[in-house]
Amino acid sequence: MAPLPSEVPYGTLDLMVLKTLKVMGPLHGYGLARRIEQVAEGSLALNQGTIYPALLRLEQKGWIASEWGTSETNRRARFYSITRAGRRQLAAEADSWARTVALMARLLEEDS
Amino acid sequence: MTALRVLAARVRGLWSRRRGDAELDDDIQAHLDLLTEEYVHRGLSRDDARAAARRAFGGVERMKETYRDQRGLRFVAGLMQDARYAGRMLRRDPAFTTVAVASLALGIGASTAAFSLFNAVVLRPLPVAESQQLVVLEPQRRGGRFVLFNPVFEALRRQQRTLSGVFAVSDEPFLNVTFDESAPVYVRGSLVSGNYFAVLGLSPAIGRLLTDRDDDVSGASGGACAAVISHQFWMRRFDASPDVPGRTLRVRERVCTIVGVAPAEFVGHQQGYAPDVWLPLRPLTDRKLLESPRMAFFSGVMGRLASRVDAARAEAELTTLYQQILAAGRDPHPADFRIHVAPGAQGLDAVRRQFGAPLTIVLALVGAVLLIATVNVANLLLARGAARMPELSTRAALGAGRGRLVRQLATEGSVLALLGGLLGIVLAWLGTPALASLVSLGYTTITLDVSADRRVTAVAAATIVLAALLAGVLPALRLSQATLRTGMARDGRTTIGHAQRLTRALVAIQLALSLLLVTAAGLLLRTMRHLSGIDPGFQPAHVVLLDVRDETPGSSFGKADTAEEKAERAALYRTLDDRLNAVPGVYAASVSWLGLFGGSDLWLPLIDVDRPENRPLARVDYVSARYFDTMGMQILRGRGFSDSDREGTDRVAVVNEALLRARFSGSDALGRRLALDYQGEQQRPFTIVGIVRDSKYNDLREDRTNPMMWVPLAQAPFRATSVALRTQAGAESIVARRAEEVLRSTDPHLMLRKTTTLSARVDQKTARERLLLGLSSGFGVLAVLLAGVGLYGTLAYAVSRRTRELGVRLALGAQRHAVLRMVLADALKLAAIALVVGVPLALATAASLRAFLFGVTPLDPTALVGGCVVLVVAALLAAYIPARRAAAVDPIVALRWE
Repeated sequence: MAPLPSEVPYGTLDLMVLKTLKVMGPLHGYGLARRIEQVAEGSLALNQGTIYPALLRLEQKGWIASEWGTSETNRRARFYSITRAGRRQLAAEADSWARTVALMARLLEEDS
Repeated sequence: MTALRVLAARVRGLWSRRRGDAELDDDIQAHLDLLTEEYVHRGLSRDDARAAARRAFGGVERMKETYRDQRGLRFVAGLMQDARYAGRMLRRDPAFTTVAVASLALGIGASTAAFSLFNAVVLRPLPVAESQQLVVLEPQRRGGRFVLFNPVFEALRRQQRTLSGVFAVSDEPFLNVTFDESAPVYVRGSLVSGNYFAVLGLSPAIGRLLTDRDDDVSGASGGACAAVISHQFWMRRFDASPDVPGRTLRVRERVCTIVGVAPAEFVGHQQGYAPDVWLPLRPLTDRKLLESPRMAFFSGVMGRLASRVDAARAEAELTTLYQQILAAGRDPHPADFRIHVAPGAQGLDAVRRQFGAPLTIVLALVGAVLLIATVNVANLLLARGAARMPELSTRAALGAGRGRLVRQLATEGSVLALLGGLLGIVLAWLGTPALASLVSLGYTTITLDVSADRRVTAVAAATIVLAALLAGVLPALRLSQATLRTGMARDGRTTIGHAQRLTRALVAIQLALSLLLVTAAGLLLRTMRHLSGIDPGFQPAHVVLLDVRDETPGSSFGKADTAEEKAERAALYRTLDDRLNAVPGVYAASVSWLGLFGGSDLWLPLIDVDRPENRPLARVDYVSARYFDTMGMQILRGRGFSDSDREGTDRVAVVNEALLRARFSGSDALGRRLALDYQGEQQRPFTIVGIVRDSKYNDLREDRTNPMMWVPLAQAPFRATSVALRTQAGAESIVARRAEEVLRSTDPHLMLRKTTTLSARVDQKTARERLLLGLSSGFGVLAVLLAGVGLYGTLAYAVSRRTRELGVRLALGAQRHAVLRMVLADALKLAAIALVVGVPLALATAASLRAFLFGVTPLDPTALVGGCVVLVVAALLAAYIPARRAAAVDPIVALRWE
């Protein structure tokens, strides 16, 4: 039986968005949500709507920028891309995330 | 950095809410479309796909809410929503809004204007370093104001240790100065001790300032004289030319070199007096005058406290020294004298002394008006709030918290206060200069800087906040309390009872405060009536006065004029007198040494030649032939002067009744001879040829007339200072212009200081009373109007709430006039409460006005009873329309309405 999809851990959605935009280039909200779900391969229960407050937050911080474009269904939609500040932030966050993961892994191994 | 960027983005987000919402909707729609396509692609029907897309997306509305909160600043956004809502409510009722905003604007405007003036006169410190260390030295003799004569000042200055510096100033509002080759002009001058600028701690704009060396008369300065000009004067007269230092000016027969320009922000050592030129005191004052023990004194003496010395210690030291110096100078009662050390941060206090007290009273009066205006708005909001009770109850029931409701209602009051406040500040800005012009000293124009500084801004802001609190928060708290208590009870009687009780209390306060203002106005009105009812003994109307100085170079202090000088001067004045009397439209003109209401208080000892032991002291003036006609004084017996009374003919004099009463009671004074005792030297006697009716001399409030003697100017040509011309109504200004021309063309040394009228000069003596009367009556009317509106609103609302009850009463047989009486009685009850509260308040205010009253006591029953009557009448008038409406209720309509 496949494990139950877990909630998005607090604070990780921002990191996922930044990483995705860095890898994929400009995307609209749907594309972003879709891509994150694909990578998670069903291990993540994402209410796709929650991505929008995250996008606003990142844009207010100046880590991503948005531009109006047209979606595949011919609707007006915003396309988001990562900024230079966003790339710096991503590098720092990814680094600290990797260290946290390593620490957690060690701690959990010791326990088992 | 990031935090700042987020804040900026959020603030931007506050303003683009609508666009932001639309954009988010676009995004969501695009997203849902794409999701739906995806599900259709996977094989779902379009409807199922749409549902699945919504599920995958999650709660749209909740997300939007999160998004919005994050976009803007939540608290501010709520506030803006409230403000927009309040704006809608206020727009819907323009009459209410106009009344509320206008009354707040008047209240806030009046108090801001009054405070600007108070600030300029009383509070604003001199723009110098550590101004709180400055002190004013006020010599006193038996508790009354006295002066420091120069030798005493010099000794004190040498011996004292508690002040780091002491200086004297002598203001010369009309200093005769000649620049280069141009004609002499008057400038505002200040003669100051050399350390003046050093003690104040100022540095020059350009050049240098005066120093002790400049003030030295021992010869160390080599006879040079230095002058410092003000920054304004530098701009005005010299176009801010940088090579002004080094230029010269002639003053008092000396040539002084301008050495520098004072800093721009420093305009002088006294509010309202901005000198153009500062000159060293000693080199420009006659040596003999300075050395004489009781001749030279100053406009003021100031100092700076030495470090770690307080005013009390300085006062103790200076008083001890002062008494020692006086004792050494063989003064018989040195203990009578002391030196009061007063705070000097605001500089010398001539204007403050005159107007400090009246301005404090004005401030209290406008405070009362502001309170009335604010209470009025609170009341109107309460009444409206009560009408909105069902709406508020519904909102409370739907879960709006008390805080939210209070905020909503308070925002309405605050929006009103803000609008009223802004309008009020504009009013204050427009009105303050007019108000400032009411503050004047007779001898010189004063220019007050009434511009807003930090204090004025802070007080205006505080006033607005106070108004917002009182007009907004108070009713809001009251209403929300009532709302929650009674919920949606169908018959909100208790609710209304609460709001009504507060409203009625507020109306009573308004009425009480207006009683205070009306009584104050009444007392001052009666004072002015008494003052204008006084017979001055002359006729002040339609007399043009020219304040002049004869600047003909001549003898200096202590040296008598030569016979030729006297003859020349007599001839000059004769010419001037003839030309003035020939001006068209002039009934009579005269030239005199002093004239009336000029402020002089000079007494000379006389000797009755036939009874030398009879030595009256009298005021003496030297006047040209038609003086009594010009002033409109009445010759009771004998004759006045004529052109044939001149040098070489019999010396004659006219005296007033007071001199007769004092010295010649019973016997006929005509033909008696009086001589002047001038510096112990008896002059040739004058024979009394006429007796003139008593008149006021310097102030209408003089309670007794002092002995006076007039002598023809032609027989004793003292330097004239006053020209007077009697003309007819409406011709004053043209006669004034012609007289100025005559003066100029007769002799350039006859210099004009000021043109005025005798009645203006008489009025000047009551300037403070006029200021207070004008303001208190204006504010009194405003207060009664506002209180009337408040009462009317309250009663009208009460009547409309009681329509059903009144209908029942009428249906059960109540008489209409009984209903009418009932409403009027209600108003009277409020008025009665107001009187109980207001009468002690009014009496307290009246007591503070004591110094400005004349002919009435603060307990004057007419003013108090009159005030009460005005109040009761106003209350009845305000109640009449609601009462009529109550009496006109149709029982059938009233009952069916339920």
